[in-house]
Amino acid sequence: MRVATTRTACVWCPDWPVTAARGRDPSLHDRPVVVCERSGSRVLVRAASPEARASGVTRGMRRREAEARCPELVCIDADLALEARAFEVVARAVESVTPRVVLDRPGRCDFPTRGPSRYFGGDDALAAHVRELVLATGVGGEVRIGVADGMFAARLAARRADPVLVVEPGTSAAFLAPWPVSVLDDDDFASLLVRLGLRSLGSVAALPPDAVLARFGVAGRRVHDLARGSDPGPPVLVPPPPDLVETCELDPPATRVDAAAFAAKGLADRLVERLAARGLACTRVVVEAETEHGERLARCWRHAQAEHGGAMTPGALAERVRWQLDGWLAAHVPRAEAGDARAQQDLDVFGDAHVEVTTGALTLVRLVPDEVVPADGRQLGFWGGDQAARDRADRALARVQGMLGYDAVATAVVQGGRTPAEQVQWVPWGEPREPARPLVVDGEVPAWPGALPPPYPARVFDPPLPAELLDHAGRPVVVSGRGDVPACPAVLRCRAIPGGGGAVRSAAGPWPHDVRWWDASAHRRRALWQLVVETADAGDVACIAAVESGRATVEALYD
Amino acid sequence: MFATVRHVTRAEVPHELLARVRPLVQAGERVLPVAGALGRALPHGGVQRGATVVVGGRRGAGLTTTALALAAAATAAGEWAAVVDPDGTLGARAAAEVGIDLDRCAVVRRVAPERWATVVGALLDGVALVAATVPARLRTGDARRLIAKARERASVLVAVGSWPAEAALRLHVEPGAWPCTSSGLLGHRDIAVHVDGRGVRRSVLTGLARTG
Repeated sequence: MRVATTRTACVWCPDWPVTAARGRDPSLHDRPVVVCERSGSRVLVRAASPEARASGVTRGMRRREAEARCPELVCIDADLALEARAFEVVARAVESVTPRVVLDRPGRCDFPTRGPSRYFGGDDALAAHVRELVLATGVGGEVRIGVADGMFAARLAARRADPVLVVEPGTSAAFLAPWPVSVLDDDDFASLLVRLGLRSLGSVAALPPDAVLARFGVAGRRVHDLARGSDPGPPVLVPPPPDLVETCELDPPATRVDAAAFAAKGLADRLVERLAARGLACTRVVVEAETEHGERLARCWRHAQAEHGGAMTPGALAERVRWQLDGWLAAHVPRAEAGDARAQQDLDVFGDAHVEVTTGALTLVRLVPDEVVPADGRQLGFWGGDQAARDRADRALARVQGMLGYDAVATAVVQGGRTPAEQVQWVPWGEPREPARPLVVDGEVPAWPGALPPPYPARVFDPPLPAELLDHAGRPVVVSGRGDVPACPAVLRCRAIPGGGGAVRSAAGPWPHDVRWWDASAHRRRALWQLVVETADAGDVACIAAVESGRATVEALYD
Repeated sequence: MFATVRHVTRAEVPHELLARVRPLVQAGERVLPVAGALGRALPHGGVQRGATVVVGGRRGAGLTTTALALAAAATAAGEWAAVVDPDGTLGARAAAEVGIDLDRCAVVRRVAPERWATVVGALLDGVALVAATVPARLRTGDARRLIAKARERASVLVAVGSWPAEAALRLHVEPGAWPCTSSGLLGHRDIAVHVDGRGVRRSVLTGLARTG
């Protein structure tokens, strides 16, 4: 089943992560800002402000290089949830023109223009109107709008737009022809095309369709269609079966994102599982919610690579639902502070575009698969094996998370650091395991001077437990500013040690730490010892003790 | 006429026939093999699925390391392990050092004593091995329920601390001395473990930290 190419408008806010970060922290205005993202072991620039771009910083550059080019640069970690929450305002502004807004990532959304374009008197007038609406929300940053035949061409038109570009109907093929094949968002396939000498979309479009199908299969055929300017939607569209809607009532109503998102995760898992049982996968989903005051909210999300047949995994789906719920619930907060709901509703009526529409906690979340395609995903092992065990473990751990809270079940990620507590990052089960300070950066192992060698302690106290560390004369052990120790530790007393402590049999150290000496407010000095303490009833006990500004603590116990 | 029926002794049964009539999986094969000297001291070289293992001893003697070495058996077999750590003090680098694959090891922190049995029961449903620090004053009834659950789900329960019920295997960690290098740094120690179970009663010195 093929769908005719629909005339589509794409609203694109370039460098949206920077705009979102500036919305949260106004002090970032007029300063060069980049938003960085970890990719493997490297930190890459994901978005850069115009000031940073003026100094030669580009997207995809390594952070180190960006800082070298622009020394006064402010680097911010990517926060997809914040970006999605901030973009909700823009999505609402666009929604006042058409109900069929589809988001594919924070910063970009598109909608079919047929109806609204007639109402507003043509694509140009519609695009200008939408741009004014978005600018009126006061989110700041740049807004570009492209209108063309099909989503793919519309996105490229938005990239070329200054600030509005309308590609006349039927001329999308000519518009697409000069673009390089790298815009296809499928790096492997694009590099294959380049090696075959097909550098532009025009040269791909000029090939005979049957030859493309014979050589590259269905994926090649789709790329050929895109290059010719006929955007047929996802590969093979199947009308979604009506009984695949997943609903979850929230009782008590959710006012916090994590409560709603936890329910949404189960919902997403169930939806994907039920679709998979029918051999289907979802490329577009409508997230619906109802509030305790009876409002109904709905927003459509699409997989960013839907045109290449990319389908939502449970994780990706749950993430989008979480962003959306976050956007709605965050919108509800200022209203609650404002107090009088009726006054706010009056504001709504008088059309201030960015006044929010949620007034209460969420009572119901519903996922409606909007576009489904036949699943051609991974083949499972013959006997289920690994996958079955993983599902079983996931279910059990999710149940425990339901009992004790999302953060109560964690996995450990080893990262760089000096003390045993710093060397481990606890990540809630199900979240990506990415350390904040990786052990290996760009193939080099960063040095952590003052870190203790193995063996590692099996019990780590965070925060450290208070202790008494005395020298032979019974005075507390101190460390001078230069890291010199006038007297060796002789006695350690702490409740972590069996029997309450004892005489120190051997001591290694100290390892002096000068923590953040470049930052006066966070500067700390401490010294660590590795001690073996003789106890009355448990033999020798080894531990790590620390002294900081005259106070002793026990950081870890070898058990 | 009547053929003489000769009594066949077990030794005379052809080897292939024995292999054909034996059950699909014998109890001794449903084992998570434990690495190193500790594994060699255990019956069948590891912990049997469905069994409850108690690790006891004084704090600081190597209790946690021994329990982690048993948990490493699950992740090494490609299964999932969970550690219940009510006071949230587990040292993850030590866990990695004894051979636990941290990707497959969930740590449950902040468990109140009254919910401990429920949480461990829920974990036994889906995870191949649960190593849990036993809270003070655990009821015998709860402990027996967990033993039955582990047997039913073929999961291993490693109870760390004083366990108020029976167990298939009891490991007792004896206090020992710490070796130090010439510069005073701690070396890798051999933990003395006493193993007590059905048909086994022996003490071993295990160089646990060196197996990973």
